[in-house]
Amino acid sequence: MQTRMIMGRYVEGDSWIHRLDPRAKLGAMVLFLVAVILASRGLELSILTAFAVVVLLSSRIPFTRYIRAAKPLWPLMAFMFIFYTLFEHGGDIWLQWGSFRITSEGVLLGLFAAWRMFLLISFTSILTFTTTPIALNLGLESALKPLSIVGVSAQSWTMMITISLRFIPTIFQEAEKLLKAQASRGADYQDLKLMDKAKMVLTLMVPVTVGAFRRAEELVMAMEARGYVLDAPRTSLRTLTWRAADTLFLLLFVIMLSVMIVL
Amino acid sequence: MIRMEQIAFHYPKREALFENLSLHIEKGQWVSIVGPNGAGKSTLAKLINGLLSPAAGQIQVDGLPVTREHVDEVRKKVGYLFQNPDNQFIATTVRDDIAFGLENRAIPREEMLDRIQEVAVELQIADWLDRHPASLSGGQKQRVAIAGLLVLQPDIMIWDEATSMLDERSKQAMMEQLKELHQNRNMTILSVTHDAEEILASERAIVIKNGQVAADMTPLELFEQEELAYECKLMPPFALALSMAMKKKGCRIAPVQDERELVNAIWPS
Ligand SMILES: Nc1ncnc2c1ncn2[C@@H]1O[C@H](COP(=O)(O)OP(=O)(O)OP(=O)(O)O)[C@@H](O)[C@H]1O
Ligand SMILES: [Mg+2]
Repeated sequence: MQTRMIMGRYVEGDSWIHRLDPRAKLGAMVLFLVAVILASRGLELSILTAFAVVVLLSSRIPFTRYIRAAKPLWPLMAFMFIFYTLFEHGGDIWLQWGSFRITSEGVLLGLFAAWRMFLLISFTSILTFTTTPIALNLGLESALKPLSIVGVSAQSWTMMITISLRFIPTIFQEAEKLLKAQASRGADYQDLKLMDKAKMVLTLMVPVTVGAFRRAEELVMAMEARGYVLDAPRTSLRTLTWRAADTLFLLLFVIMLSVMIVL
Repeated sequence: MIRMEQIAFHYPKREALFENLSLHIEKGQWVSIVGPNGAGKSTLAKLINGLLSPAAGQIQVDGLPVTREHVDEVRKKVGYLFQNPDNQFIATTVRDDIAFGLENRAIPREEMLDRIQEVAVELQIADWLDRHPASLSGGQKQRVAIAGLLVLQPDIMIWDEATSMLDERSKQAMMEQLKELHQNRNMTILSVTHDAEEILASERAIVIKNGQVAADMTPLELFEQEELAYECKLMPPFALALSMAMKKKGCRIAPVQDERELVNAIWPS
C-alpha cells in the first residue's frame, strides 16, 4: 500500500525502455497517440498493434500488467462497441428486428474503436510503468518549458506535482489514522452499510481537508525560509541526459507514423 | 547577532501583539524563548527571518536590516526549524529534500552532491537518502530537516518547538544536536521550547508575555521564579524541583540541574 502510493504505477526494472530519457518516452507517446487517431483501417491497426507488442515486450514487464492497466476503461470500451454496433448500418445484415439492425460493418467498426482505445491505454502505460515519478516530473518540466513564452510557468507546475507526490501518501496516512481511531470507538469501516460508509468518509473529509490547508500554510513558510522564490532561477540536483538511444527510439516512432500516413 | 529595536506587530485585523519590543542576542549565544500559549513566540521567530514584517521598528541580523531588499541575504544566515516535521519536507526523497535549499540558491550540481554527502554522513542519515519522507519517523524527519538547514551553512538556528512532537528519545537526540551546534560550530541558537532540560542547557531564558519581554535571565533563575515558570507551562526537572523544595524547608542547598549535582549537594564527599 505504502510503496504503491509513493511510487505511483512505476514497476521496477532495468530494461532499455526503463533507461530511456523520460522526454523521449513522452514524445513517443504523443506520436503513438497521433498514429492511433489516424489509424482507421484494419491494416493500419494491425501494424500499430504489432509495433506496440514489440515495444511492450521489450520493457520486460508482464503483459498482463498492461492489460490490467486498461481495466478501469472497459465500460467505456464496451460502450463504444455497442454504440457502433447499434448505429453503423453498412455491410451485411446479420440480425434484424424492426428498425433495429446489427450489421457486419457495425460490429467491425465497434471492434476497431474498442481496440484503439485499449491499444492507447495499455501502450501509454509504458510511460508510467517504466519511469519513476521524479523522472517523469523532470521530463514534464522540460517538455513544458517552451510554454513559458506564453506565460505558463513550468517550474510552478512541476513544483505542484512534486508537492502532490510528496503529500498524497501523508494525507492518506492521516486519513488512515482517523479511520483507525473511529474503528477503536466501535465504528468498524468493514462492517458498515454502503450509506454509512459514505457518511463516514464524509466526516473524515473535513478534518483531512482542514489539515491539508494548515499544512499548506506552513509548507509555504518552510519553503520561503529555505530560500524558495517563485520563478527565480534555480539549479537542479536531478538532471536528464539525452543519449543516442533516445534519438533512435523517437526516430522509430517517426518512421512508424510516416509509414502509416503513406500507406 | 540579532537586534530588534522597538518592534510593533499585529496580524491583519487583529489587535497589536507587540507594541514596543526590543531584544538583543549576542553572536554564539544559546537562548531559550519561553512564554504562555499565544504570547507571540512563533511570531517573534518569524519576524527575525523576514517571514513576517514588523509594522514599526527595526530588526537586524548580523548587521543586515531585515527588509525586502535584504531578506534573501538574511535567510541565508538563518536556519529555521519548524514544529511539525511533516510540513517542512518538500521533496519526495531525503536526498532531494536536502538539495531543495541548495537548488534555490542556484548552487552547481557537483557542489550540491558533495555538500549533501558531507552533511548526510555528519548527521548519520546517509542510509536514508533515497527514502520517501512518509516512510520516516518523526524524529528521523526532524533530523533530515536539520540536515537540509545545515547544508546551507547558516550562522543562526531558530527552532520553533522543534522537539514538541517527538518522543523522549528523539528529544534527547535533538538536544545533543543543539549542544553540538552550540559548542562545535559556535552557532547562535534561538529555541522556542517548553522542555525544561533544554532550557537549562541553554545560556539565557527570555520570557515573552503580554507583548513584552517579561523576563530575561539565566534558566536557573527562571525556574526559581516559580509563578513565572508555571505561567510559561514549565515544569522543573525532578532534581531541581527537589533541591528548591529542600531549600524552602531551610536546607542550605543550591539549586541543581541534575541527579549527580543533587547527590553531591546533599552528600559532599
Ligand atoms: N496567521 C495568523 N493570523 C492571525 N492571527 C495569528 C496568526 N498566527 C498567530 N496568530 C495569533 O497571534 C498570537 C500569537 O501567536 P503565536 O503563534 O506567535 O504564539 P506562540 O507564542 O507561538 O504560541 P504557542 O505557544 O501556542 O505556539 C495568537 O493569539 C495567535 O492566535
Ligand atoms: Mg508557537
